[in-house]
Amino acid sequence: MDHRPQAWGRPRDDVYGAYDGSYLNHGGPKNATQSPVVTGTSVIALKFKDGVVMAADNLASYGSLARFTDVKRLHTFHNTTILGYGGDVSDMQFLSRLILQIELHQDYELEQLPDIKAQRGQEVMQANNLFTFLKKQMYHCRNHFDPLWNQILIAGFDDERKPFLSSVDLRGTSFSAPSLATGFGAALAQPIMRKYADTEEQAAKLTREEAVEIVKECMKVLFYRDARSLDRYSIAVVTKDGIDLKENEQLEKQSWAFAERIKGYGTQTV
Amino acid sequence: MSSPFSINGGACVAMVGKDCVAIACDLRLGLQALTVSNNFPKIFQYGDNVFLGLTGLATDVNTVSDLFRWKVNMYRLREERQIAPRTFANLVSSSLYEKRFGPYFVSPVVAGLDPKTGRPFICGFDSIGCIDFAKDFIVSGTASEQLFGMCESLWEPDLDADALFETISQSLLNAVDRDALSGWGAHVYIIEKDKVTKRLLKGRQD
Amino acid sequence: MSMFSQNPLMNGPNYSFSETPRVGAPEGAREHRFDPYTDNGGSTLAIAGADFTIMAGDTRLTSGYSINSRFHRKVFKIGGTTTDQHDAHLVLSVVGFAADGEALMERVDAMCKMYRYRHGRPISVKACAQRLSTILYNKRFFPYYAYAILGGLDEEGKGAVYSYDPVGSYEREQCRAGGAAASLIMPFLDNQVNFKNQFIPGSGEGHALQERERRPLTRQEVEVLVKDAFDGAVERHIEVGDGLQMMVITNKGIEEIILPLKRD
Repeated sequence: MDHRPQAWGRPRDDVYGAYDGSYLNHGGPKNATQSPVVTGTSVIALKFKDGVVMAADNLASYGSLARFTDVKRLHTFHNTTILGYGGDVSDMQFLSRLILQIELHQDYELEQLPDIKAQRGQEVMQANNLFTFLKKQMYHCRNHFDPLWNQILIAGFDDERKPFLSSVDLRGTSFSAPSLATGFGAALAQPIMRKYADTEEQAAKLTREEAVEIVKECMKVLFYRDARSLDRYSIAVVTKDGIDLKENEQLEKQSWAFAERIKGYGTQTV
Repeated sequence: MSSPFSINGGACVAMVGKDCVAIACDLRLGLQALTVSNNFPKIFQYGDNVFLGLTGLATDVNTVSDLFRWKVNMYRLREERQIAPRTFANLVSSSLYEKRFGPYFVSPVVAGLDPKTGRPFICGFDSIGCIDFAKDFIVSGTASEQLFGMCESLWEPDLDADALFETISQSLLNAVDRDALSGWGAHVYIIEKDKVTKRLLKGRQD
Repeated sequence: MSMFSQNPLMNGPNYSFSETPRVGAPEGAREHRFDPYTDNGGSTLAIAGADFTIMAGDTRLTSGYSINSRFHRKVFKIGGTTTDQHDAHLVLSVVGFAADGEALMERVDAMCKMYRYRHGRPISVKACAQRLSTILYNKRFFPYYAYAILGGLDEEGKGAVYSYDPVGSYEREQCRAGGAAASLIMPFLDNQVNFKNQFIPGSGEGHALQERERRPLTRQEVEVLVKDAFDGAVERHIEVGDGLQMMVITNKGIEEIILPLKRD
């Protein structure tokens, strides 16, 4: 008889094979997010003459379930920088808390030491500085096999007070372009935005109104074809005057005329 | 490495010139890293002005080259004329597609001059017969990436026969020298209106 | 024995629940593992001349079939004293996984700065090359997935190019292509820079033929070669294009040249 109590009352190994408990193993790297759970879809952004526009819808999906319909995925930093999060929402909230800490710390420092502000003549941390910080954070986490499952767009101004727009993803890969889009947006919105601003020079000619219009048009296309999207969205414009953030926009001027000719949209009796 | 296309190794390239075409291949036959023969030509002639280059699995190179010898002979007997390169290309395509779900592991290249107009004709295929008509050059084999790089930078339009020979030779030799599975000498055919010149290049023997 | 073990594999110390047998289930079949790498495409190229070195790279950044950016640098000045690297004397190009490439570049740059601080003079290419190899090898079991090329001028003022694999094997060379289109560009360089397979006409039969004598190329010649090499690569490789960034290192400093490439 087997005298070890832990082996009692179990399916016999000679009949069922040895018990495979490998799923219980917690050796190796620790697991925080090994795959995304509650996710946000595309974030899109476009530079223009004197700033950057960014937009993302207010949906957080749980797989194919539209789980949370009022989640704000555009965050601000110091009224100078916009962060747009795609990917895992819990990781977004973690990063957001991290960034809030920096923001509070800096506000406190500036209050305590007003001469710093006077010396530098601007906020301590610009968009490009925050971007570098985020990039390092994301790369650090991927190096520990504990990635923050997001792709993030950062918009604002750089040290030279020029419009700044960059992206960083869960592997720490970062890049910059006149227009950026995460997830589905890279396939659906980027071609539209690039039609208007393929180069920095072209982007520098766009007016604020044009840029907002283009981004809104892209949000519409995304809503049409991205099944994990919503018609409620946030849109933010950052200029030297600060950030204009609207968090409860409704998609306007939708046209579903095309649907009439397509089976599956529910208008016909097949 | 265990892809049937890269067990035996080999390279082939065809180029268009002014009123001439060229086709060239290496001579290596290997089994993975081991070289078995340094005299395994991959170009076959099917008429005065029709050439076929075959890279890929050596056993299929033999089978397919023999198959087309038979098919072209049958064509000649029935039609009582030589096959034209374009006709031959369509024959290659349809013959390969017959084996759509159990293909020959070869990447063929056809080069020749149109018997009526004397215009250069080259084309390449994938292993199931999709034709790639090209105005400039066709490459195939384990050194195809290297050949693309060489041809894209050395080739220019309207090269005469001598310049075309130099271009295709340099393209092939330098490409196969950067491929472990190709090399060990080369055959080069320069096809002109009423002259076909075959040259043997020694190349690096390592 | 048999009364202690129902499991034929367990004829030794039997299992406890924290250490259960790993039999049957194939490794990694249960759990999807995070892949820490992506290939961001692109290509680099370096050629050493008699008294200069040219380092070049395209500026496209891809992941899969998407173009993430049309202007992303992969050739960097390193070893300067300031952020703008105006007094840098070395150039490092990295291609492969962009995040690793940039992390590597920042480490090498920091190392060069430390060297300057400790020794009171800029680091030599030779020393930097050796150190870069060590840095790469230090991550032998979780490598920087980047193909690095280091360029500069050696102690005699001659052009120097050092090329690396991701785990630190390195070699000084006359020229080297790296990245996605390396296999397209490298044979072209053999032919046009080192005159491989070029012989003096009529100098002999077969292997008795005399090789064309090598000579150092001029800066203008090299610039043309670099452009031609990339124009060829752009035509046949989808991950290469948009822009060409060239760094020319001479004893007067480093000059950066940006040229357009096809954007399709």
